[in-house]
Order: sequence, then C-alpha cells, then structure tokens
Amino acid sequence: ECEVTLKSSDTHPDGYPTVEAVKHMGALAKERSGGRICIEVFHSAQLGEEKDTIEQTKFGVIDLNRVSMGPFNNLVEQTKIVSLPYIFRNVNHMHKVMDGAIGDEILAAFAPHGFVGLAYYDGGSRSFYNSQKPIKSMEDLKGMKVRVMQSDIFVDMMTAMGASATPMPYGEVYSAIQTGVIEGAENNWPSYESSGHFEVAKYYTLDEHLIVPEVLVMSQVSWDRLSPEDQEIVKTAAKDSVPVMRKLWKEREKASEEKIRAAGAEIITEIDKTPFIEAMIPVYEKYVTSPEMRDLVKRIQATR
Amino acid sequence: MEMTILFGLFSVLLLIGTPVAFCLGAASLATIIYMGLSPIVVFQRVNSGMNVFSLIAVPLFIYAGDLMVRGGIAQRIVAFAGSLVGHVRGGLGQVNIATSTLFGGISGSAVAEAAAVGGLMIPQMKERGYGADYAVNVTSMAALIALLIPPSHNMILYSISAGGNISIADLFTAGIIPGLLLAVSLMVTAWIVAVKRGYPTEPFPGFGIALRLGLIALPGLLLIAIIFGGVRSGVFTATESSCIAAVYALLVTIFVYRQMTWANFVEATFGAVRTTAMVLLIIGMASAFSWLMAYDKVPARLIELMSGISENPLVILLLLNVILLLLGTFMDMGPTIIIVTPIFLPVAQAFGIDPVHFGVIMILNLGIGLNTPPVGGVQFVACAVGKISIWEAMRSIWPFYGAGVFVLLLVTYIPELSLWLPAQFK
Amino acid sequence: MVKQFVEQLAGVTGRLSRLALWIAGISLVVMTLLVLWQVFTRYVLHEPSHLTEPFAVVLMSWFIFLGAAVGTHEGFHMSFDVLTHALPARLRWVPEVISDLVVGLFGLGMVWWGVQLVLAGMDSTMPLVGLPDGVTYIPVVAGGALFALFSLERLCRRSVGLPASAHVADPHNPVPEVTEA
Ligand code: NA
Ligand code: NA
Repeated sequence: ECEVTLKSSDTHPDGYPTVEAVKHMGALAKERSGGRICIEVFHSAQLGEEKDTIEQTKFGVIDLNRVSMGPFNNLVEQTKIVSLPYIFRNVNHMHKVMDGAIGDEILAAFAPHGFVGLAYYDGGSRSFYNSQKPIKSMEDLKGMKVRVMQSDIFVDMMTAMGASATPMPYGEVYSAIQTGVIEGAENNWPSYESSGHFEVAKYYTLDEHLIVPEVLVMSQVSWDRLSPEDQEIVKTAAKDSVPVMRKLWKEREKASEEKIRAAGAEIITEIDKTPFIEAMIPVYEKYVTSPEMRDLVKRIQATR
Repeated sequence: MEMTILFGLFSVLLLIGTPVAFCLGAASLATIIYMGLSPIVVFQRVNSGMNVFSLIAVPLFIYAGDLMVRGGIAQRIVAFAGSLVGHVRGGLGQVNIATSTLFGGISGSAVAEAAAVGGLMIPQMKERGYGADYAVNVTSMAALIALLIPPSHNMILYSISAGGNISIADLFTAGIIPGLLLAVSLMVTAWIVAVKRGYPTEPFPGFGIALRLGLIALPGLLLIAIIFGGVRSGVFTATESSCIAAVYALLVTIFVYRQMTWANFVEATFGAVRTTAMVLLIIGMASAFSWLMAYDKVPARLIELMSGISENPLVILLLLNVILLLLGTFMDMGPTIIIVTPIFLPVAQAFGIDPVHFGVIMILNLGIGLNTPPVGGVQFVACAVGKISIWEAMRSIWPFYGAGVFVLLLVTYIPELSLWLPAQFK
Repeated sequence: MVKQFVEQLAGVTGRLSRLALWIAGISLVVMTLLVLWQVFTRYVLHEPSHLTEPFAVVLMSWFIFLGAAVGTHEGFHMSFDVLTHALPARLRWVPEVISDLVVGLFGLGMVWWGVQLVLAGMDSTMPLVGLPDGVTYIPVVAGGALFALFSLERLCRRSVGLPASAHVADPHNPVPEVTEA
C-alpha cells in the first residue's frame, strides 16, 4: 500500500491537461516505487486559489502544486521575466528555453523560498478576444475595455497597448462582455472555449502576447521528508509527465479551436506584431531592472 | 477519525450554545492539530474565505436593506401593497406577501425582509384580529421570496462556492419565475387558511388612492428597474449593483422622503455592520471547515456513495433535496451553501443537472430551512417580532411548508422554470 | 475589590468596542464609495480604476473582524442555545463558560498564528497595490486580540455575577414608526 501519499493541488478542473499530467506522474511514481509513493490530485481549486495554495505548500500542508507564474512574480524575480509579453517568439521557443539550462536556473531560484521546482507545464498562448470588431492593429485596441487578471505586468501591458485594463472576477466576465460593461478579455484557446466567452466575444486575434509556462513545485518540507531515492523517483516522474502534458495540451487546444471555429467566431491571424512588440519597451524597462535580469532576457531572446 | 473529530466537536459546541462561527473555527482548529498539519492554514482559510471581491455584495445589499427600512422606503411599499390586495379575504396576509415580493425585488436578505416587513405588518395584523401564529408564518415564509427574486446575495455565495464560474446575472434571472411562483403559492395558501379562520378584509380604497400610494412608493420601487436595467444594459456588474442599491436608497431617503437623519444613518450603518460581520465571520470560518472536508476527500467519497444508490438524475435530485432539507434544518443558509456547493454541485453535474438550475433548487430548499427550528434565522426574527414562541408558530406552519415544498418540487422537476428566462437574454 | 476591577475593565472594553464599531462603520461606508468610484471610473471616465477592488476587499476584512468582535462584546452572535435553556438554572453557567473559553482561546490562536501569517507574507507583494501580502492578515491579529479580550471580560463579568454581555443589542433592531403615508 501507499507509504507516502503526496497531495497535489490544481485550480483547473478534472480532465484538464495539467490535472491529467499530475495523475500520470502519480502512476509513474507508484510503479517505479513498487507502489509506495502515491499522488492524490485535488483539482478545481478544492484547496484554495493559487495564492493560498502556494502558502499552504510553503507550510508543507500541500506537497505538490501546479501553479501559474503570476503569483510568484513578486517572490521569484526570474518568473517575472518569463511572464513578459512577447518574451517568447512562439511555443517552440518557450519549450526550448524552459527545457534547457535557463529553465533549470529558474527552477533553482524557487529553492530559497521553500519550494522545489520540479517541471514546467504549458499555459498556452494568450491572445485578445472582443465583442466589437476584428483587432488587426494597436489602433483597433485603443480605448477598448479589456479584462485582465490582477497582475501588474498584465495591467501595464494593456495600458501600453492603449486599451483600458479592467480588473474583474473571472466569473463575471461572460455577462460583462454580453452587456457591454467591458468589450473583451484575453486568454488561450481552451479557456476561451470552456468559459463560453467565444459566444459573446467572437473576434479572436492570435497575437500570442503572452506565452507563459506554468510550474509544478513541491514543498521543501515534504521534499525533505523523502529519502534521496524517493526524491529521485518524484523528480523524474515529474519530468516524464511533461511530454504527456504537452500531447494532451495540443489535443485540447485543437479540440477547443475546432469548436470555436464551428461556432462561427472570427479568427484573425494576419497581424503585424512588430508595433505591439515595440510598445512593450516601457514595460520591459519597468520590470527588467537588474543587470542579471537584463542578461536573462538577452539569453532567452538569443535562444534558437 | 479526522472527520469524527471535525463533526463531533462541531456538534458538541453547537449544542452547548457556542456561537456558530466559533463552532466551525474551533472544530477545524482542533482537527488540523490532531492531523499534525500547520494550524496556520485554518486562519489563512478564514481570511481568504472572506477576501473575495464578489462577497462585498453581501454587506452592501444588507446595508441597502437597512437604509430602506430606516429611511421609510419599506413603509411606503407596505401602504401601496395594502391598497392593491387588502380587499382579498385575510387582506393583511395578502398585503404581507405582496410587500415581500416587491421588497424582495430591491433587497436580497430574507432575515432583513422578515425584520422589515414583519416589523411593519405583524403588529397591524394582530391588532386587526389575525392570529399571531398566522401573521408570523405568513411573514417568515413570504420573506423567502427575497432569496429568489433578484437581487440575492445568497446566489452570489453560491456562484463563489462553485468556483466563481457560474454567471451571477444568469442566476439572478433564473430566480424570478420560481420567486413569483412561491408568491402565488403562498397567497393561495394564506387565502385558504384565512377563509377557514374567518379573517377580515380591508376596504378597497379606490383606484385613485391606490395610484397615489403607488406614486409615493415609486422612487423606492424604481430600484428594481435600476438594478435589473443597470445590470442588463452594462452600466454595472451584478456585484456592483449592490453598491448602487445602497447609494440609491440613501439618496431617495435623504432627498425624496427626507427621512434619513444622521442618527438614522449611523444606526443603519451600525446595524449593517453587526449583521454582516456575524454572517461573513461564519462564512470565513466555514471555509476552513470545508477545506478540511475537501482535504479528507469527503466530496469524492460522497459522489461514489450516491452513484452506488442510483444512476437516475430524478432520484439523485430527490436525494439531494432531502439531504439539503435535513442540513437546512440544522444549519444556517450561508455556511451551508459554502460548505455544500463544492460537494453537491459536482454530483449534480455528474448526473447532467445544469448548475444554474441546481443553484435555484438549493436556494429555495435551504430557504425553507430558514424557517425550521432548531436553526431558523428568519423564523426566529418573525417570532421575535410577533412575540410568540417557535412552538406556537410550528403548530400552524404546515400548510405554508406545504406551499414551499410544492414550489420546490415544481422547480426541481421542471428545469425550464429556472432556465427559460435566462435563455431569453442570450 | 474584584467587582471594582471588573467595572474598570468594562469601562475600557466598552470604549474599545464602541471604537471598533465606528471604525467598522466607516470602513463599510468607504468600501461603498470605492465600489461607486469603480463604476464611475469605468463607465464615465473610461479609465477603470485598478485599486478599488483590492482595497475594498481589505476594508471588508477589517469590518468583518472588528464588527464580529463587537458581536462578542454585545453578545449578538448567532448560536443555538436550546440545550442550554433546557439545563437547570444553576448549571447554565457551565456551557456558557465553556463557550466563552472557546471564543477566547480561538482569539488567542488568531493572534498567534495570524502574526505568523503576517510575517510569512512579508517577502511577497500584493499585485497592483504594492503592499506586502502579509498586510492582508493584520485584521486576523487585531480581531483575534479583541475576541480574546472581550471573552476575558465576559468571564470576569460572570465571575462577579454580572450579565456576560455589556448590553444586549438586537441586530434586527425595531423598525421606526411610519411618519407619513
Ligand atoms: Na431579492
Ligand atoms: Na433550519
């Protein structure tokens, strides 16, 4: 039977690629430990929102946690850099960077704060959608009220693009777009689909302004309780769950895209990203402050 | 063992009269210490459970209600409702229900409604020869209409507990038809009982006076249009409408009715602070409690158990309703919604029940629980205002329970009653 | 002698409770205005404010904990006291004292673990506001201290035969008379 049961938190619902990936990781760990190590996944924010579960992970109450970079932005400086708009040219570029030495360096940066960084998952590419018109240039975005998450970088990015960043609870976005409280929001294919926002905001501009990886961390407290060989099992199981996650993510993205296209949404792909990227210069100036971080940005951009 | 400590300690403390909020908090704290986990989590959950932006609608709708009562809006609605339905047999009972329906359109709290409408109506009814039990039961059951007709902060609680992904605007719209059905069903019941008991009627004052009273009540009633129109036309969100309600009530009572003195304003504010602090502390503590249940996988085990009993959604709905009625008997509405939604909603959805529909069922079901002792907030208030014991009220409440359960069954088995109206806005 | 001390304590806690009620009331009013400002900046100015939401939520925390502490002082918390009333009068103090102890000890727990939450949250910042995350837990500490103090007062008052609550406030206070139709 299970000697070690690791509790893992995720805010996404059951069946979501990240949730399934951690389940797969659990199966691997169980198999490789001869049934000693088990992982219990708590999906749908059963144990709290990300900010809360991060604290719980720190205290060792939750062992594993799949979280976005956002809540770590003010804690681990490097996570801010990979959350910058247009830092990655595309998903492949992001995978290359995070799978390489830079990715390991950022995982290591979690250690002083009580977390063991295990692996990166995909958060998809975030793009704009709105209820008014096809956005093809920055001019089209001007003055548009766009919902963003409560994050400094997101708000500054939207403002730099000329839109009015509007913070709002996720659950109110659908009716807010429907009634015209706001004109749009931004997200990846799966969320655009599952939230039903494509029904009320049918213009989706694939500008991919944010390609932010997500991270699977383990509590340092829980980590220290494991024997070195069990630590190895957990770590490699986490790494081995990444390809599974990517495969599931691709399938999910494709299914969402098909559903959205079938519903008659207008997808705008021909867009010149250059002016958007240029508009981000002040945002980079604000968030990339130390020489180390400037160097990190350069190394990310230089990765081919 | 963990759950035995959690529920056992909670029940013992509840029975010895410890405030409900602290029954939840202390039971959670003891359990987490027993489990050897960091007790910090309990206090984090208590705080995070209240730090939710959508929750601000709860104090603000309660505040709006307090301002309406202190500033004379509620009184004018009673006068207007009286001119409309007072001439029916047992007229003041009908007035009570009509007032609750109108007032329910601008307030979301059944407790506030029982206090406001009961405070105005019960003394009058007793004076005119109605039984105190009848007056109290009509008041406490009619107060439930406020839960269903928007605005309703309990629906906001439901949406939050469901993870914040259920549209509050849809929930608000879904409650309208069930709310009106409840009003009609209660009016019929009140009429039958009134005929049996030979209660009086009020003279019809004539259309002129009814119109005049309507005009006097209009500034207050306009809030219905402002809230609904404002949310539907995109000026503000459903959560923000609570603020508009409070500010509008204040403006009307100051500038139109000129009844809002500084002392009244301070009392209304303090009253709202007292009520909301009490309610929201319970909500915070309940979120620690439900965190422990989730940590121990109670919801997952329950789904397994339920699917072992039946695969038929109709049976599952009946089962969920019975469990909710039982829970509502012993628990207050807000904490029950917060604790039970994350457990029951996945069950309901697993059997293909729409989350908006399930929300309406849950609100009405737990609403009936507000009128069942031993824990029945609305009934307590109505009994206190009517100066009778709960047992006296219980002796003659059964026809009114019947009316409530009848509507509950209709709402449960005819999803269109809840879902048709929201669909019209898509 | 003991009674004198209790009366002095009651004088202090009475003023403290009143102060807490005023701060809570002002927080409620300011929160209302903040949300109004949010609607105004978005709908009229077309420049939505980013700070109203986090500040409104922090204010709400404050008035819940302060208002709830007033609830312990005034004794208006919702409870289920059927069993207590079924006990013979001379034994009724037993469950009541246990309840006060539970509230008081939980209050001390709020102070102790609340301080740790504040400290643990000092190295990260709240988005958009820029203050340390730990600040959001200060109301837990303040509320806990008041719960403990007011419960102590209740225990002291009982020990000298005074009613446990300073004055019994009815949260659903009576409705004012109708002044005109
Ligand atoms: Na209502
Ligand atoms: Na009840």
